[in-house]
Amino acid sequence: MSQAWAGTFAVARLEWRRLIMRPLAWLLAAMTLAWLAWNFTLMMGAFLASQIQRAALPDGPGFTDLVAVPLLAQLAQLAFLVVPLLTMSVIAGERRNGTLPLLFAAGLPASRIVLGKYLAVVGWLLLWLLLTLAMPLVLAHLSRLDWGKLAAATLGLALMLATLAALGVACSTFASHPAIAAAAALILTLMLWSVNFGAQMAGINGGAVNWLAMSTHLQALLRGLVSTTDVIWFLLLVILSLTLATHRLAADRERN
Amino acid sequence: MTPNAASSPAVLTLKDITRRRAGRRAVENLNLELHAGQVLGLLGVNGAGKSTTLSMIAGALRPDSGDILLNGRDFLEYPELACQRLGWLPERAPLWAELTVSEHLDAHGQLRGITGKRLRDARHAIVERLELQPLARRLAGVLSQGQRQRLGLACALLHRPALLVLDEPANALDPVQVAALRALIREQAAAGTAVILSTHLLAEVTAVCDRVAILHEGTLRHDGPVGVDDHAALERTFFDIAMSGDASLAHAA
Repeated sequence: MSQAWAGTFAVARLEWRRLIMRPLAWLLAAMTLAWLAWNFTLMMGAFLASQIQRAALPDGPGFTDLVAVPLLAQLAQLAFLVVPLLTMSVIAGERRNGTLPLLFAAGLPASRIVLGKYLAVVGWLLLWLLLTLAMPLVLAHLSRLDWGKLAAATLGLALMLATLAALGVACSTFASHPAIAAAAALILTLMLWSVNFGAQMAGINGGAVNWLAMSTHLQALLRGLVSTTDVIWFLLLVILSLTLATHRLAADRERN
Repeated sequence: MTPNAASSPAVLTLKDITRRRAGRRAVENLNLELHAGQVLGLLGVNGAGKSTTLSMIAGALRPDSGDILLNGRDFLEYPELACQRLGWLPERAPLWAELTVSEHLDAHGQLRGITGKRLRDARHAIVERLELQPLARRLAGVLSQGQRQRLGLACALLHRPALLVLDEPANALDPVQVAALRALIREQAAAGTAVILSTHLLAEVTAVCDRVAILHEGTLRHDGPVGVDDHAALERTFFDIAMSGDASLAHAA
């Protein structure tokens, strides 16, 4: 393994350790998973109660459409709040603590510091997604899961979480205080989600504004439609956010 | 200092380093050379440019102009040099509050590319040397300032650097710990490590340094040898420099 990658993984390990030692990360995980588990139970109840009606519709919605995918959609909603709180301290907190120069002094370029921190946050978020996914999966042998649709929805959620994490890391790099970073990330992601709402209300579907909106790309994946355009949209945003974060962090060395 | 230290190739060379901070020149055209086994005391009043200079040497800050050479190689072109050859204890020893003392040492080792048995051995040696065993499992966030300084020093020494940069390391240490710190600095110098020690304490400089550099308003005003018996002469030189162009300080003195 090259020294640059070793440095990236050292930063990721350090950030992961800091993340799991913070009460905030545990609190967020416990509260959101409890909320999702409660909703899963309610959705299961509704699913079982509607079994007789659905028996009359052979091609009607199944367990995946009525329980698994809506559960993932709820996770997506929670992510708007959870990810900014999780990412707010990654750089802004280091800057306030005075520990950022320790990373610079280890000879690490800004890109490796940003990437290492990003990987740690994405690791936490993927674990969060897996724990949520475990709820419908434990019932997989009792119900008929549409594996293709579930895989597409999971891919969509993973891409969305990776994108929100990149935006959060970028906001943390630009902000002087973690709270400002969290607020900026929340506003930015909500804007990105709803940028096409005005156009839709005016009856305009499609076009550049719709393409810009995160909801357009996630909803397609949640419906089970995997298109290269949607995947590229998420990846482009991740690359753009991490590039901006890298430039800002590199400027810290020049500026402070 | 080892007898032939000055004749050995320079571990650190600063060539015309200039750096602006907060709209003013924090360091201006600074030239310095440091050889293996030398202990250089960096003196100056608050705002003289000591911490800025040390941050640039440590790689945490880029100079606006000038070159920093480590063992004759440009530090900015070879950032891995900092990783391998430089140990830095910043002012007030910043630490990650969520990590234990052991985890701190592991993190610092991993950031500098040390892993596995090498890391375990290095950690064991430095924990023993700085008597950190009772604190090994304690979170850095609950350490006293003196304990933080010791942990910061352990992190700086973990990878056996060729250049050790210490920014006010005696802050918050009790007299016993100060004596231990002096012994440690001498021990490092005897082993061939070049040491830069920034401090406000003239006694600290005369006790452990064999050379002193005095910065004032970002420029180097004095660079010369110093010994244990030179306290009075150093005090005179320091106050002459510190009071030149600072009427308020002169008045207070």
